[in-house]
Amino acid sequence: MIPSTIDLINCEQEPIHILGHIQSYGYLIAIEPDTYSVVHASDNIVDLVGTDAAQLLGQSIDKVLVGTHLPISTLTEILNVGQRNDSWETMNPHRLILNGKVWNLIVHQHKGLVILEWEPIGNDQNQLINQQLISQALTEVQSSRTLDELLQNTARRVKTIIGFDRVMVYQFGDDWHGQVVAEEKEDDLEPFLGLHYPASDIPKQARELYKVNLVRLIADAGSVPSPILSKPGWPASQPLDLTHSVLRAVSPVHIEYLKNMGVQASMSMSLLYRGELWGLISCHNRTPHFVDYQARQAAKFVSQLLSAALEFRKDKEDLTNLQQYQQTGRELHQQLLLNDDVVRALTKLPITALDITGATGAALIFNNKIHQLGKTPDDKQIRALADWMGTTGTESFLQTNQLPVLYPPAEAFRAVGAGLLSIVLSRELNEYLFWFKPERVEQVTWAGNPDKPVTVNEEGQRRLSPRKSFAAWTEIVRNTSEPWSEAELSVVVKLREDILQIVTRQANEIRLLNQRLQVAYEELDAFSYTVSHDLRTPLSSIRCYAEILLEEYGEDFSPDAQALFQKVIDSTDRMRRLIRHILFYSRMGRSELDTQPIDMRQLLNGIREEILVTSKDRSLRIDIGDTPPIMADPTMALQLFTNLISNAAKYTQLAVEGWVQIKGTQTDSEVIYSIEDNGIGFDMKQAGKMFDLFKRLENARTFEGSGVGLAIVKRIINRHQGKVWFHSEPNQGTTFFVSFPVNPTK
Amino acid sequence: MVDVLYVEDNPNDADIFSRLIRKLNRPITYTVISSGSEAIEYLTGKGRYEQQRTVLPKLVLMDLNLDGVSGFDVVEQARALERTRHIPIVAFSTSDNPNDIKSAYDAGINAYVVKPGSYQETGDVLEKLCDFWLGNNTRTDYK
Repeated sequence: MIPSTIDLINCEQEPIHILGHIQSYGYLIAIEPDTYSVVHASDNIVDLVGTDAAQLLGQSIDKVLVGTHLPISTLTEILNVGQRNDSWETMNPHRLILNGKVWNLIVHQHKGLVILEWEPIGNDQNQLINQQLISQALTEVQSSRTLDELLQNTARRVKTIIGFDRVMVYQFGDDWHGQVVAEEKEDDLEPFLGLHYPASDIPKQARELYKVNLVRLIADAGSVPSPILSKPGWPASQPLDLTHSVLRAVSPVHIEYLKNMGVQASMSMSLLYRGELWGLISCHNRTPHFVDYQARQAAKFVSQLLSAALEFRKDKEDLTNLQQYQQTGRELHQQLLLNDDVVRALTKLPITALDITGATGAALIFNNKIHQLGKTPDDKQIRALADWMGTTGTESFLQTNQLPVLYPPAEAFRAVGAGLLSIVLSRELNEYLFWFKPERVEQVTWAGNPDKPVTVNEEGQRRLSPRKSFAAWTEIVRNTSEPWSEAELSVVVKLREDILQIVTRQANEIRLLNQRLQVAYEELDAFSYTVSHDLRTPLSSIRCYAEILLEEYGEDFSPDAQALFQKVIDSTDRMRRLIRHILFYSRMGRSELDTQPIDMRQLLNGIREEILVTSKDRSLRIDIGDTPPIMADPTMALQLFTNLISNAAKYTQLAVEGWVQIKGTQTDSEVIYSIEDNGIGFDMKQAGKMFDLFKRLENARTFEGSGVGLAIVKRIINRHQGKVWFHSEPNQGTTFFVSFPVNPTK
Repeated sequence: MVDVLYVEDNPNDADIFSRLIRKLNRPITYTVISSGSEAIEYLTGKGRYEQQRTVLPKLVLMDLNLDGVSGFDVVEQARALERTRHIPIVAFSTSDNPNDIKSAYDAGINAYVVKPGSYQETGDVLEKLCDFWLGNNTRTDYK
């Protein structure tokens, strides 16, 4: 039965092993093994034996050779031997001369029937050539350096053996689409090398048959197949199974396919890898072309040899790939160990994360920064992808060669990232390493025109030509990349462990540092306490007793002794001030910030009055201009402005009339206060150490001070995320600026 | 009857205090107690003060940083007792740490004075304290 309408679906369903026809260049009968009575015969058998098929059906095999010169005993003898040995393979083919013409008889047994097929013999001279080619092929398999080279050379051998216009090695992908990976052809033919074919071109049941029947010849696509007749009363539900038949007719769908390609004869040999169909050696000829049994056997042998070599080569190549990736992975690990800097180790050195897979792009998101290698989506797309990763619940790694199917926004960058392999470094911190592979459609060169319209046959029926399945396949390959190999996965998973080990080690180091810092802080607390109390108490005693001595026994002291006592008293005073300042400094660094709006007019007036009280005996003016409020901790703000203003006042002591001007200005983002004086000023060259603890400038030596005041200012301004800067010239005065953010972040 | 009870474990400070009080040339009586636990016994009339009928002083001057029972503890316990709930206690401490000052007020002191660290200034402060707490201040137990 030939289906009247043909589409892709009934293409898959077509029962091609029981089509009920054989190719008309040969003849077939099927007999029962015990009675040798004919159950099936091809309609054209009359051409071979001179007797109609209808007359043979149900009869003993004796009838078959009646119209020939060959004694029936010859045939029965062959069958008897085959039966006895329970094997036909070794006897095939048998040369039989029928009516002056030589034929090859090929016998096999399948599903309870013995099937006899006659086909023409080829040129005897070929046999020797074939033997030579086989032995050369063997040498080839042993010596070819690469798989590509081996496939190419095999194509050449096969073409020499069977003599077709075109011999292609066709490799199946994971999705069963095929690609021409080697080709040997006549010069005038357009090359098919590199072309892709959709999976539907070779439907599943055809692929199953290829696994069983390793060699398949279509000698003349244009010939009319001969139907197989069954003996009267044979149930229609039991058609002859032609799985192992050498003459099995071709599916009309396939014939149309060949015609579309301008092919009249075709032959294919299966290439198996670990029992699965890896590919085909597919041969095309523009004119009908018969390949005799011997040559087919030779070609089959070559393809089997290639299958075996494939298994070995592919394993070896996989292993080489794995070793290559592993080696790169080890070098990356070394870089990680030596660098202690994950980003640098993975992206900045000669070996990068991109080298451990076949990806064309990689991106590392670490510490909230994106680092790209090769061709990748843009920053924004990578960030969005990372956010999506966070929602997938992926624990360690994710791999897909169809990212847009999982994550539709990826369609926008499918040209660089249709395939994604990703390892999770930290879901909490949104840290990932991504590898990208491009959409395969870019690399696909189409066999035939995918846009060829649906054909309409003579009866006006719409027929979907097999070539049309390209369009369907385009949709399937869209958004799809080359798959990720086991080797790539295993190396990437190992890399993840390596990175996490380093990250954990660094985290541990930070934790240890934190612990030590904690201890240091506790010690500092203890120290502060000691300074604040235990040191100040004896210091007070020294001072008080010095004062008592002066007061009660001073009259007995010489003026020199009195002066010495005064030095003791002054020294304790300086020491006490220093201790107080150090305490302030440490307190400003540690106490909690209580940020609130500050009434600056009130704060500055308070400071002003206090300073003016202690400077009664000299001429000092402190002017306060605009006072926009600031957001700050009140205690710290008081400390900061007190330090700056009293400094200003202090360094104007030498001026005839000291003058300090304080004013604030507000911008959108900050409030800036300036404190300007007409004091001694300083050389800006020395400004670098201005805010260092205990650092004092040279021209300030004669002024009282501990060298802590500005360090406190700096510390306070840092804690408020503000800025402090200044401008000064010697003897021209100094202006300090402090800025506070309008909206400090907590 | 004493005017001032000074709780101070540093003998030098106690000595300087004594010298300064004497210098004031006023009839001020005082007792110096050198530990927090003894101060509590004194204020509660327990322990080594059980047999003596101690009368409460007009002012307690309290050093806060004491070995063992601290000045804060003494203030808290004094405030918990009916007998000493309203007794004037002035903290007299080397520390000017805002946390210490706040804790002392939380414990229930009436005033906080940072030890000035010099003989002259300490004398000035003590004179003012005596003027106010022994002269101007009116107490509830005043009979």
